[in-house]
Amino acid sequence: MLHLGDVRVPVCHGVTRRSFLHAGAAGIGALSMHAMNALEASGAVNESKAKIRNCITIFLVGSPGQVDTWDMKPEAPAEVRGKFKPIDTNVPGIQICEHFPLMARMMDKVALIRSLHHKTGATHENGQRWMMTGHDFNADSMKPHSGSVISRVFGNNGMLPASVLLPWKIGNTGAGPLHGQTAAYLGSAHEPFYLGSDPSRSDFKVADLSPPAGQTELRINTRHNLLKQLDDMQRRAENGPALSRDTAYSRAFNLITSNEAKQAFDLSQEAETTRDRYGRNTLGQSCLMARRLVERGCRYITINHFDTVFGISCWDMHADGGGLNNTYADYENLLCPQFDWAYTALLQDLESRGLLNDTVVCVLSEMGRTPQLNPRGGRDHHPAAWTNFLAGGNIKGGQAIGSTDKTGARPQNNPIEPPQVLASIYHAMGIDLETTMMPGPGSRPVRLVEAEPIDQLF
Amino acid sequence: MDQKFEGTPKATLRVEGRTVIRTAVTNDWGSQLLWKITRGGEPVASVNARLGESYSLADAAPGQYEVVLQIFKYENYAKDAAGKYTVSKFIDVSDKVTVTI
Repeated sequence: MLHLGDVRVPVCHGVTRRSFLHAGAAGIGALSMHAMNALEASGAVNESKAKIRNCITIFLVGSPGQVDTWDMKPEAPAEVRGKFKPIDTNVPGIQICEHFPLMARMMDKVALIRSLHHKTGATHENGQRWMMTGHDFNADSMKPHSGSVISRVFGNNGMLPASVLLPWKIGNTGAGPLHGQTAAYLGSAHEPFYLGSDPSRSDFKVADLSPPAGQTELRINTRHNLLKQLDDMQRRAENGPALSRDTAYSRAFNLITSNEAKQAFDLSQEAETTRDRYGRNTLGQSCLMARRLVERGCRYITINHFDTVFGISCWDMHADGGGLNNTYADYENLLCPQFDWAYTALLQDLESRGLLNDTVVCVLSEMGRTPQLNPRGGRDHHPAAWTNFLAGGNIKGGQAIGSTDKTGARPQNNPIEPPQVLASIYHAMGIDLETTMMPGPGSRPVRLVEAEPIDQLF
Repeated sequence: MDQKFEGTPKATLRVEGRTVIRTAVTNDWGSQLLWKITRGGEPVASVNARLGESYSLADAAPGQYEVVLQIFKYENYAKDAAGKYTVSKFIDVSDKVTVTI
């Protein structure tokens, strides 16, 4: 037995900092109350002026084709307009794809942005970086995920992390590892909590909420005390730089030991009919979990609809006959119905529980798809125009912001760029974009995004 | 990570005159849900069943129709050269009922 301070350490069992972190490696953190008060005092953040408290983003990895979904062109030539037909919605003048019939009945809650575009590369990763962070960047200048920004600005509420990412981080989408889903320079204390498991599966469990095999709560408490002392010693020696890690350790410890956290992730507490209404699939059950998390104080949830574009049915409709062989059949039979069912369930459920007024639900993607069908009947990458949408909170529903030309190739009016979407979310959450700065690389203050909110949304 | 659907979706149908009424689908996968209508074994129509819990044959020509509820069962996205799924397919989630017009 080794003694460090007043904690006895059973060294023969390999108690290491690394193993403890492995048990709770969520790396969750939050701004200290002192720092939050300082931000409020400076006027940078005014929660009393916030129109929304929470944000749920459904990220459609692979990118749906705008002409096949929410910006249809029925008057265009057949090789542009594609196979699907438009249907009326409950908002006169706005039509969407026939395979979103339930969403069509709720269009009065939804603000479509039909003129999104970006001017960088036509890869999934370019679009992910834009829509997750509001920036494009390379490995030398990484920018934080929007959930990490919210974690940094607001901190967490209770034992749950401020930002949770469901069900998996984005993996291989073809052009490198920079997807914009990390805390970057904000540090490990503000990493989103990555669920890392499929909540629709019968064997689902959150790995980071379960102590490692053979570890009792007593031993975990012992480790926690030890780590606390080590960090106190290190902080004294280094004059503060251990703060980020210390916060991460505390969040990991809280998650492991918190009944509140465990309940938030426990879908078995939901009625079977509720689980059915969301759909017994990865997206549906992730949406249900997002509602449970919002109910319990988690402010920012990102749901990745798919973690790759290769070898699976997803939105990346190249119809290439090989590893990217998504076609209209996948949209019609699986993707559109699954989205329509889960998305409308989420909006209805949030509304019935009085949460929709405080929660904005964003549906985002990386880019659009080529207006012209390719020779195999698919559509390829097209960052020059696409449609995303928001609902809930103080979003003014029942409108289409911006428009595209006759084929959906380019914005025709009111072109919108990705940072404007994030600026709108931050603004609605009560963040003053002029005065709220992040500690950028080298501690240099930087703006959250170089853009202004989209006025028409509110 | 590809999707895996578990369990078995189920619904019950009943006939009231020329209308077929379904229960909610239990263990609902959330994929495409269709009313499949046949006559003498030949397909007559496939209609989205997500919009409501009934389907009316009020305007159908006289005859005997069979109606069943089907859901798309995704196994994988493999397709043949013609673009047809090779493994994934629609499966029945209810018994067939007969409607006589």
